[in-house]
Amino acid sequence: MQRPDWAPETIDVERPSVARMYDYYLGGSHNFAVDRAAAQAMVAAVPEAPLMAQANRAFLRRAVQFLCEAGIRQFLDIGSGIPTVGNVHEIAQRHAPDSRVVYVDVDPVAVAHSREILAGNESATVVQEDLRHPERILAHPDVRAMIDFSQPVAVLIVAVLHFVGEHDRPAEVLRTLRAALAPGSYLVLSQASDDGRSEAERAEAQKVYQRTDNPLWVRSRAELTAFFDGFELVEPGVVWVPQWRPETPDSAEDAERAVFLGGVGRLGG
Amino acid sequence: MGSGDSVGEPPDGPARPGAFARAWAKALAGTSYLPMTHAQLETLLQRLTDQLAAALRTEPLDLRAGHRVATELVASHIASAEALGRTVEVIQLRLVRDLDLVADDIADRMARLLAAIATGYARALRDRTLDEQEAIRRAALIARADAERALRASEARFRHQATHDPLTDLPNRTLFAERLAAVCTAHRDDVHRVGLCFLDIDRFKRINDSYGHQIGDRALVAAAHRLSRAVEPHLVARLGGDAFMILVERSTGTGDVVAVAESALAALAEPVLVGGHDVTVTASVGVVERQVAGTTPDDLWRAAGSTLHWAKSAGGAGWALYDAERDNREQARQALSAAIPGGLERGEFYLDYQPLTSLQDGSVLGVEALVRWQHPQLGVLRPDSFIGLAEETGLIVPLGSWVLAEACREAVGWSAATGEPPYVSVNLAVRQLRRPDLVQEVCSLLRHTGLPPNRLQLEITESMMMSGAEEPVRTLRALADLGVRIAIDDFGTGYSNLAYLRDLPVTELKVAGEFVRGLRAPEAADERILASLVSLAHALDLTVTAEGVETVGQAERLRAIGCDAGQGWHFGRPAPADHILARLR
Repeated sequence: MQRPDWAPETIDVERPSVARMYDYYLGGSHNFAVDRAAAQAMVAAVPEAPLMAQANRAFLRRAVQFLCEAGIRQFLDIGSGIPTVGNVHEIAQRHAPDSRVVYVDVDPVAVAHSREILAGNESATVVQEDLRHPERILAHPDVRAMIDFSQPVAVLIVAVLHFVGEHDRPAEVLRTLRAALAPGSYLVLSQASDDGRSEAERAEAQKVYQRTDNPLWVRSRAELTAFFDGFELVEPGVVWVPQWRPETPDSAEDAERAVFLGGVGRLGG
Repeated sequence: MGSGDSVGEPPDGPARPGAFARAWAKALAGTSYLPMTHAQLETLLQRLTDQLAAALRTEPLDLRAGHRVATELVASHIASAEALGRTVEVIQLRLVRDLDLVADDIADRMARLLAAIATGYARALRDRTLDEQEAIRRAALIARADAERALRASEARFRHQATHDPLTDLPNRTLFAERLAAVCTAHRDDVHRVGLCFLDIDRFKRINDSYGHQIGDRALVAAAHRLSRAVEPHLVARLGGDAFMILVERSTGTGDVVAVAESALAALAEPVLVGGHDVTVTASVGVVERQVAGTTPDDLWRAAGSTLHWAKSAGGAGWALYDAERDNREQARQALSAAIPGGLERGEFYLDYQPLTSLQDGSVLGVEALVRWQHPQLGVLRPDSFIGLAEETGLIVPLGSWVLAEACREAVGWSAATGEPPYVSVNLAVRQLRRPDLVQEVCSLLRHTGLPPNRLQLEITESMMMSGAEEPVRTLRALADLGVRIAIDDFGTGYSNLAYLRDLPVTELKVAGEFVRGLRAPEAADERILASLVSLAHALDLTVTAEGVETVGQAERLRAIGCDAGQGWHFGRPAPADHILARLR
């Protein structure tokens, strides 16, 4: 008999997970040998990989800090991964304890781990969903229970979009999300870019991520900027992530080595 | 703090990061991801610097301070090999100088403090690594357990959907068949008995027709729930439509299963209120009960189906019990009926003829064609063993056509020594008469064989005329117009409606044999009826043939009454055409 389409998939920890690889880059130990092997192969291809992850994480922290100061109290972090240090809810709830955070990830292990971490936190939750199905995320009862879409929300899609290929229509995904947001909401995006990379580096990085469930789709600055359609980019626009509102001037040096481009947009109206 | 003031003054308050803390923070930048702003980092490191300085100033040197600082670094996520290296380096190079710590044994104290920091750091880092490994492993286990639970739940749901009826949520045919098969394979000894009740709601279509399908469905659901409650713990399945099957797994005898059938019928007898309508249903149940050994699910299923059919044909609202003899009889009939088309194809049918003899001069006026079946296993079969079946199944149409064609084909070759050769009389079934192309068929038969129309007689029964339908009457008129003779067979046994005799183009009445049998006693009622019939027929210009004439006495009485012709053993039994024709020459 044929399995119906609502039957869940099984967990395969024999394949590297991008969430756990990312944790490894950040110095965490929430990973398995298979993840470390894949991450090390990535580092061999792109030696800056750990730096990229750190820079990206720091961008997330600064962006959330900015959003808190802008008065945002609701966060939807899609593709949150393994909740390593410096989670959105830690930053946001330190700033304003009533901040509500929903994490969304497709990786069931990441979701299980997040659930453990969030146990007892009534203002934060995690749901297992796929960025490629924004309508399911928006309709999820746990999302709707935590987030009031008539009020501004910050949607964070950080270090995830490069796993969404054109065939999965990322622009449409973002349009669907935008349509659900109240004026004054924010969109935070960052993703890997091949601006200024050599052909060889690109090919090798691609190869590493082909081994995971998530091949890599790098994009140019123009392409990432286009994803902010309908939003007004806040200063300084779409830049290498270390250049986005750096804390100290020298921390933005060699910014393009971070490989990630990022930006924050505000929904006007 | 303690007594050791030998290494300089403590700084005034914690406050702003000093030169050393700033240098330390700079050294740590980029060693790993730090979940804090640079300012927060400097503040943290200033606090740790103060602890280190205090330790170096204190006598005796408290190595636990080094452990504490290292542990706090790791807890603050400053937790990489590089961070340790830079920390050791910056402390060794700058701490004493930046904080202006002076003591004789400072180099010795510094070495021991750094060793304590490195030890504490490695220990904390190892614990952290182990904790994280454990956490991710646990998450993987939980995720896998969740996925498996979800999978099992979905499989259970899928299995439920595959084995249950969506409307009533009762088990469906699949589940029932599984259970029945399990019962039949598990208990092949001579002890276990099993029973089935095949239940079908009587005329359920009427409920749908009068209240609509929605009410019909709700009535079905209500009936299903009552049923399963009434016969608990026996398995009740909905087979589809308004048919249900009950499995009695451990029967001790027929009585057990009949009791289940009666409970089921009683449960359905109460009217059910659905959508403001009092819906009352009755049902029929076919009950089968037998030893498990020696039967199969298919046998049981089929027997239950036949038995349900008996209950239905007995008028419904009750149960019937399986009867092997009756079933065998019906199966044999069924098999015989199924063999008719093949028999026709293989030429297993043939015709015998029985003379219709003039009572005036003993001449053979006509012969009645009687179909025989030379069955390969059963021998020669007479029409009474298969015509009824053929009529039920509609096979009478091809069979009747064959008889008609064969009779015409044979009759055309007949000749008489003197006068007209006899006509051939063929029985026509009601289904044949209702076919719109019968006239066409007869027409072309006559044309192809060359048989004169007046040498063909078609016998119809009275009951055929009782339907009051226009069409058969029109067909008969058309046939009569061709010149074909029309006879009413078995006259006097049905509702002998005289009105149709006036309207129909009938040429002859064949009076049923039972009137003839009553002719033994002189002046009997039958003789007076026959006499009246004959005079009535003659008044209408019809001839009368008496059937079942067996004795010379009967023949004499019939002639005296004025009957035109006789048929029966007295005049000749049915025989092949040449036997009959031999008498004509």
